Amino acid sequence: QAFPLPSLPRKQPTVLVVCGPAQNGAIGLVCARHLRIFDYEPTIFYPKRSMDPLYRDFTTQCEKMDIPFLSYLPTEVQLINDAYNAVVDAVLGAEAEAGEGKEPCAAILATLKHVRIPIVSLDVPSGWDVEAGSSGGISPDVLVSLSAPKQCARRFLGRQHFVAGRFLPYDMQKKFELNPPEYPGTECVVALRAPR
Amino acid sequence: QEEAQAIDQELFTEYKFSVDQLMELAGLSCATAIAKTYPPSSFTTSQPAVLVVCGPGNNGGDGLVCARHLKMFGYHPTVYYPKRPSKPLFEGLTTQCQKMDIPFLSEFPAEAALIDELYGLVVDAIFGFSFKGAVREPFGSILSTLERITVPIASIDIPSGWDVEKGKADGLQPDMLISLTAPKKAAVHFAGRYHFLGGRFVPAALQEKYALNLPPYPETECVLQLT
Repeated sequence: QAFPLPSLPRKQPTVLVVCGPAQNGAIGLVCARHLRIFDYEPTIFYPKRSMDPLYRDFTTQCEKMDIPFLSYLPTEVQLINDAYNAVVDAVLGAEAEAGEGKEPCAAILATLKHVRIPIVSLDVPSGWDVEAGSSGGISPDVLVSLSAPKQCARRFLGRQHFVAGRFLPYDMQKKFELNPPEYPGTECVVALRAPR
Repeated sequence: QEEAQAIDQELFTEYKFSVDQLMELAGLSCATAIAKTYPPSSFTTSQPAVLVVCGPGNNGGDGLVCARHLKMFGYHPTVYYPKRPSKPLFEGLTTQCQKMDIPFLSEFPAEAALIDELYGLVVDAIFGFSFKGAVREPFGSILSTLERITVPIASIDIPSGWDVEKGKADGLQPDMLISLTAPKKAAVHFAGRYHFLGGRFVPAALQEKYALNLPPYPETECVLQLT
């Protein structure tokens, strides 16, 4: 929705999906597969693969759908800017604490900080503190909050903030006082108003 | 029927999709097609009440997922699920529905007229594309009753009781058919108003291999209206 096919600047609808070692990365794999179904051309960078059988199956599904997996991430940022229309940041999610300091995440994030093409972060901009946000970390263009926005979302300054949480049962929404917005029609995401 | 089973097999063994994954996408497609065609505002019953009849296999599982999404889309689904497999997948789906306050009937409405009065739509999730042979009870009586209701029926993948390839002239006549993955041969005999394609997960390579010739889905939609 944020980057419809006809709006992409490059001739090929290429998207780089950077997947971390845990659940956020696995969600990135599922996202890449659906992007492929939507006729984008995703490429995945997934340096540290989980042993979880579910996540390994997600990897197989992507491979069998001819989604290429990079063996390394170029440190030369211009190469990324030239090759892709956008980057999906599925490196670290809300569960990450020590993850940020460890390789290869730290190097990845150092590179992503300097890309000029739009970044879409899944749930939490990777490297941000899940509550306090970040100073000097990556600045995504689009944030997709999963289930409900995390505290750090208040610091999000990008163009579009989506919530993907339509699967939450009503009693859970009440219990955690989530007050979600209304989802239009049968959509599974809703765009929140952009921050002022 | 064999081709449909072969595609399924390849999705599970080669592509390593789990039944859970594909069932969730299938059920979501069904709920989406229904929501687009019979919006809650179009119901003449006081609530947008839907009866979801779930059979003993995967088609029933699709129905459970569908019921859950219908609830999220603002409908009031009720499930009838007489024969429940004791497998974690189905137990989980049942629990998810129950925890969302979706009632499960302990018996099937005795008469067609009662269904017409209480519900604005019936979802037929009894038998799917693996169906072969005779219809066992309680589904025989259920189908007889459903053949007499006047409210619309939305069938998941195959109108239940139909031969998967040849159809059934004196069988169920649903108003809507949601073909999953690709339409089955029996779909040529479908005479209802709305035919949707759902299950937008078939990789391009599989589509080519089996010459499915599926028309393109619009944008990010998970359903495509064929008629």
